[in-house]
Amino acid sequence: MRSIFKINIRFNKGLLILLVAISGLHFSCKKMLDIESSRLSNEDTHWSSLQDTRSGLMASYSLMRSAMAENNAHWLWGELRNGDFTASSRSDLKVIINQNLKASFPLVQKLTSWRAFYAVINSASLFIERAAEVRATDIRYTEPNFRADLAQARALRAFAYFYMVRIWGDVPLITASHDGTFEDKPKTDQSKVLAYAETELITAAKDLPYVYGAEGDEILPGSYYGYGVDRWRGALFTKISAYAVLAHIAAWQSHYIDVSVYTDFIMTNYAKANIAYSTTSQLTASDGIFNGQSYSQVISFGFNDVYGESTANGHIEQLVLASPLISKQTPDLYVSKDSIASVFTDLNDQRFGLDTISGLPRTNYFVNFTGEIPVFSKIKVLRGGSTNGNFAIYSSNILFTRLEELVLLRAEALAVLGQRQDAITLLNTIKKNRGVKTINDGTGKDLISEIFAERRRELMGEGWRWYDLIRYHKIQNNNPAFMNLIQQKGIYWPIAKEVLNANSKLEQNNYWR
Amino acid sequence: MVRIIASMISAVLLSVLCLSKTEAKARYTAPLNYNSILFRQDTDDTSKKKLDTIILADRRSQVKGIMDSLNARLSALNPHVSVQQMLKGKIAGLYVQETSGEPGSEQSMIIRGLSAPVFSKNDIYRLQPMVYLNGIPMIQENAYVFDIQKYDYNRIGPATNLLSSIDISNINSIEVIKDPAALAKLGPNAANGAIWITTKAAKSGYRDLSVNTYFGMVQASNIQTVNAQYENIFRKPFYQKYASQSDYLNYVGYLRDSTNLDYYGPAKWSDLYAKNHAIYSADLGLTGGSEKANFRFFGSATQNAGNSDDTKLNRYAASFQINMAPFSWVTVSSMVNASRLDRDRNRNLRDRFAETRYIPDLYNPISPSKTAYQSLLNEYDKAIDDNRTTMVQGYLSLKFDLKPVNFISTFNFDYNEGVRDVFYPTTLMAGNNYVSNYFGYNQRFMINNAVNYTKHFNRDHQIYFEAGQSIQDDLHKYGYANAYNGPNDFIKINVVEGDKKKDKYLIPVGYLVYRYNDKIHNRLFSVYGSAKYSYKDLFTFSALVRDDGSSSSQPGSRWFIAPAFSASWSLKNQFLKANNWVDKLNMDASWSRIGKLFSDDRFAAGPQYRSNSGWALEPTIPGYNGIATISRPYSSGWVGYDIKSPYTDQLNVGFDGSFFKNRLGASVTYYIKDDKRMLLNSPISAETGFASQFSTGLAVRNTGIDLGIQGHILTGRDFGWTSGLGFNFNKNTLKSLPNGLNELIIGDRKLKVGEAIDRFWIYENQGIYNADAEVPINPATNQRLTFEGTTLKAGDPRWKDINGDFTINSDDKVLKGNSMPKLTGSWSNEFRYGNFKLNVDIIYAVGQKALNQSAALQYDFINREAANDINSVREVFSWQVNADVSKYPTYNPWSSVVPYRLEQDLFLENASYAKLRTVSLGYDLSKTALFKNKTAIKRAYLYVTGNNLLTVTSFSGSDPELIEYNGLYTGYGLSIPKTYTLGIKVDL
Repeated sequence: MRSIFKINIRFNKGLLILLVAISGLHFSCKKMLDIESSRLSNEDTHWSSLQDTRSGLMASYSLMRSAMAENNAHWLWGELRNGDFTASSRSDLKVIINQNLKASFPLVQKLTSWRAFYAVINSASLFIERAAEVRATDIRYTEPNFRADLAQARALRAFAYFYMVRIWGDVPLITASHDGTFEDKPKTDQSKVLAYAETELITAAKDLPYVYGAEGDEILPGSYYGYGVDRWRGALFTKISAYAVLAHIAAWQSHYIDVSVYTDFIMTNYAKANIAYSTTSQLTASDGIFNGQSYSQVISFGFNDVYGESTANGHIEQLVLASPLISKQTPDLYVSKDSIASVFTDLNDQRFGLDTISGLPRTNYFVNFTGEIPVFSKIKVLRGGSTNGNFAIYSSNILFTRLEELVLLRAEALAVLGQRQDAITLLNTIKKNRGVKTINDGTGKDLISEIFAERRRELMGEGWRWYDLIRYHKIQNNNPAFMNLIQQKGIYWPIAKEVLNANSKLEQNNYWR
Repeated sequence: MVRIIASMISAVLLSVLCLSKTEAKARYTAPLNYNSILFRQDTDDTSKKKLDTIILADRRSQVKGIMDSLNARLSALNPHVSVQQMLKGKIAGLYVQETSGEPGSEQSMIIRGLSAPVFSKNDIYRLQPMVYLNGIPMIQENAYVFDIQKYDYNRIGPATNLLSSIDISNINSIEVIKDPAALAKLGPNAANGAIWITTKAAKSGYRDLSVNTYFGMVQASNIQTVNAQYENIFRKPFYQKYASQSDYLNYVGYLRDSTNLDYYGPAKWSDLYAKNHAIYSADLGLTGGSEKANFRFFGSATQNAGNSDDTKLNRYAASFQINMAPFSWVTVSSMVNASRLDRDRNRNLRDRFAETRYIPDLYNPISPSKTAYQSLLNEYDKAIDDNRTTMVQGYLSLKFDLKPVNFISTFNFDYNEGVRDVFYPTTLMAGNNYVSNYFGYNQRFMINNAVNYTKHFNRDHQIYFEAGQSIQDDLHKYGYANAYNGPNDFIKINVVEGDKKKDKYLIPVGYLVYRYNDKIHNRLFSVYGSAKYSYKDLFTFSALVRDDGSSSSQPGSRWFIAPAFSASWSLKNQFLKANNWVDKLNMDASWSRIGKLFSDDRFAAGPQYRSNSGWALEPTIPGYNGIATISRPYSSGWVGYDIKSPYTDQLNVGFDGSFFKNRLGASVTYYIKDDKRMLLNSPISAETGFASQFSTGLAVRNTGIDLGIQGHILTGRDFGWTSGLGFNFNKNTLKSLPNGLNELIIGDRKLKVGEAIDRFWIYENQGIYNADAEVPINPATNQRLTFEGTTLKAGDPRWKDINGDFTINSDDKVLKGNSMPKLTGSWSNEFRYGNFKLNVDIIYAVGQKALNQSAALQYDFINREAANDINSVREVFSWQVNADVSKYPTYNPWSSVVPYRLEQDLFLENASYAKLRTVSLGYDLSKTALFKNKTAIKRAYLYVTGNNLLTVTSFSGSDPELIEYNGLYTGYGLSIPKTYTLGIKVDL
């Protein structure tokens, strides 16, 4: 026993030495375990240089693009409910068209989640909170650049809230990133959310330039993040973009005086942003306004093929194109011949009408009209604007709004406010551009209907129809069923179950309970 | 190659620099030993042979469980190419999933149950045990490639099973290490268990030459093919019962025209799809040398094949070992293995579209006619699909025997690279061609140093110390480019501008190219010390403490200190010394804690920013407006601070003994395996913007029993029968969830504390509503039962309203069935008659269930065909009799409640099976008169073997083994073929 006892003492000494040795090893090899990952950027190094603000801001834009593009949501939200499109065979599209939004298709479940918008909001909030750190450390990050960046982040965040309100009504208003210390928030009344968005946009508009990267610009002179005007055309939020969102926020709340004020600003200043009307061929060509970059894309989220951003998913083409443009046999969605006939009433309409000489239907908006299922081909930007239908990936931008849309919105506001003649002038501008007979005022003329019918023709496939219907019925107030839907908040979408599960402070929208 | 050498040198330098301090300090420390890292000998007992100069083989074995080692001699009679195949069913507690009979495809091994839930394919990578080859922990693929993949059916690259590189003829033993203390000695690498492979060793003596060869065939399976008429008849009742006029108008094109011979003609596609193929192998082993220096060379060439779709694996392997003892107290030992694997993969459309990320219009599926299928195969002849994996691994080991102190230093390296080149012509890709190139490698360098010291105090007491340290450096890297829509089908590579002077230097010409690169670099630094005390032949007690630092853990919790203890008590020597029928009886107990490593480096960084430009279906958009984007990882999940290393606590209590003059051996081990503090990518409120967050606190317990019994039942001179029965009973339980939650829903799975983690979460199906009036009415609201708000109607399923709220929704889903078996094992028999030997092996797995997705998709044809997504793809093999039609009710397939949704017990089936896996009959020629006098031939053994001969199961799919990791039967696994081989083994 004694010998064992001795050994224990000696062993303890040994252990002590061993421990010393181990701690020494830890010291000497500690550095060895610090491996900088090439796959990510961590808190220690981020927000220190111009690259970080640039990539952070672009990330907010790309998250917004994802929110609208994933599952082709922008069009499924905007075009299907009660809209012009018919589903050929997909049951999940049929239930959306029939407004049976409780149906349990995976697609419907995905469309009812607002997570992607809050990613935009979080990333914009984080940017607003942290960009000052770069301003402090990187001298290349100039004050105008910094201010324009903050303004864009604010505008994007406000835009995301506006977009969500159109779909879900009341949504939780979260104005900070709460980075790492998240807590569940209940829904906020939509009027508060929109009021917040409006204030933010007005603040942002002050610092937003008309054009990015222009030499001698008043607000943001010189190249922007090392690139000139060509690179930034149509890609970022300009002052006009901010006013466009402001106008729509006002219109959504039927504040038509505000709409006329905001759109007046746009009409006065759009030329400063080099924005122009699009001809019919620019509108419908495969390398027209939906492809690449153009000043006339007032708010647009691009999939520019030049930069390798073409995708298969995230474009209306995936839903509506078919043979003869691509090898697909039948489109998932199409506008039936009856609908086409009832929407496009003027035979001279360049978008769709009958050619006066040959007597054949025009193919700007629809091809294969003579076949059983016409193919909606207004937007058909196959890879970088090519016409090769073998490879069905698309580069079309999500063009949220363009000048024609804003002109029609202004016409709508003026018509509501009783300034009929001005409204007709604006409406006729659009009609003239499309080769349609202009209208004159007259007693009993339903100008509102005229304007919305023009919107329907002009903006078909651009994700407006459902919201237009809501505004139209609010103005007209003559359709009890639809008014009931508005009052019951059935115009909104249900909230996805997984969103409700993850936040106990949320409740399903009443109508869909 | 230059890069490899350069990185080898730099790693050596780095470790030497780092080591110089270590060694200096180690001199004062208590001398311990690394070289008794556990090594368990095979039943083919080499430990009785004279110990030789080789270092690695002098690790003494201490076999505990009877079913823990593979009989390599018997296994060598089978044409198995992967370690998984060799071990399948053979080891109690090791469950092998061979989800496809495609040779060389990835297979999974799970030791003692799932330690974490499996949601996606990359989860299965984290659960794999470490495989050691002569002590080299073999680096495996990392799951990081899935970050850029749209679909996870196959990983990009060759996706070859890296464990199919080892030839069984060169293996001396394979041990599955499950003992907690033994695993603790191996450290975090072995937290999921370890498989210890020892090759045949170089040894001194007159040269030994062994030649083994076999030749055989895989048998085409018998497929009951059908044509469009069958499909037409299948759909008829649905149309008669539920179709509207417009549904009739939308009837799918390829079934409309019954005069179309492509679809309605003879369905002979199987003649081209399922074929007999030859398999063969030849190898040669040469051993020789003196006591001072000896060597072993091994070379082999093997071809293995599947019986479907012309799948094939070719393997060339070589191994070289040298041992030297320049002084009596120094031994140098080294090995270099090299192997190359070439794989011919399947030609499934799904796998092709998944790789190309492009789904063409699927309106007209592939037809069942032989000519149509032949013309498709002709187009495949123009395609390129090369999959090549090359591997090198080896070690250099030095041993200094300065009695009573030993010092051992080992340098291990393991490098494997995969190359995949693909070209699909326009004719295969709807008018669009496709090129992709992948080059990826995994490399590991490791340096181990250990000292040991043995002290005898008197006859009764002995103490043994060891201390060791190791550095491991792992690098995973790949470059991948895929390109679309090239100029024509003659240019099969991605051409770039080659003129350095031009602006467009290295810019692709013709193709639309996307490129991806990624890299993960991890290091592990470990030190440990251990001591063992033995008292007479009665009792041993050992303890170990180790400290592991990993670069993939967060800086604040990088080091993980873990202890281990084990004790062994000979009951025989204590109590039963005089007993005649008990030859051996031991009791062992062992407990250890082992830290687990993160295979991904994202957790070390804490809150982070990543590139995040796309979404689930478009994961690889490079940026916005051509500018790279970096944001919080919204889609992959929030990573916060305070992520500590997960760890596993394991406890074993076992008995093993042998009785009746060793005629009966038995071992039983009870274990508890607690995996704690694991990360779970769990839901977070959507208003944060994050899809999920990584939170720590997941704990899973596996408990079970490993049992092995082996008996020499008949031991006559002419006739003998030895039989072995092994099984494992395992049960897993979720012990806790992050943030103290009691249950959590992730995707279509639900985790509930107290329940098993491998349960399906599904609706209970109770039949069909034949009329609207049959749907129950809620007396409170006077409304009929709804499915998530949609009123159920005639033709909809009668799903059980568990909570009675008259709404069927996810609250009414129940946890049902398990995807992992409860009982697995084998029954092996060897019969001997004269010079004949007959081996019969049966393996079984009982208690697992599978969701039959193949049947669900067949019945959900309306939604499936309309969706035009990856699940809509119809393969040529879908033209066979699949599901049992009588089993499923005729629901309204147009109903918006999706009656044939997968997540219901209608599609849940029992997937238990028993298989007659091996029957082998051999004859020992060397004992016959023919060879008796030719002393040059030591052994000549002729044998015939049949594999996978018979399956007993109630499962309705083709084979209950072909079930995916998540318990879904997709019908995509190629059948595991029946094989027949004739072989001879000659030792000279």
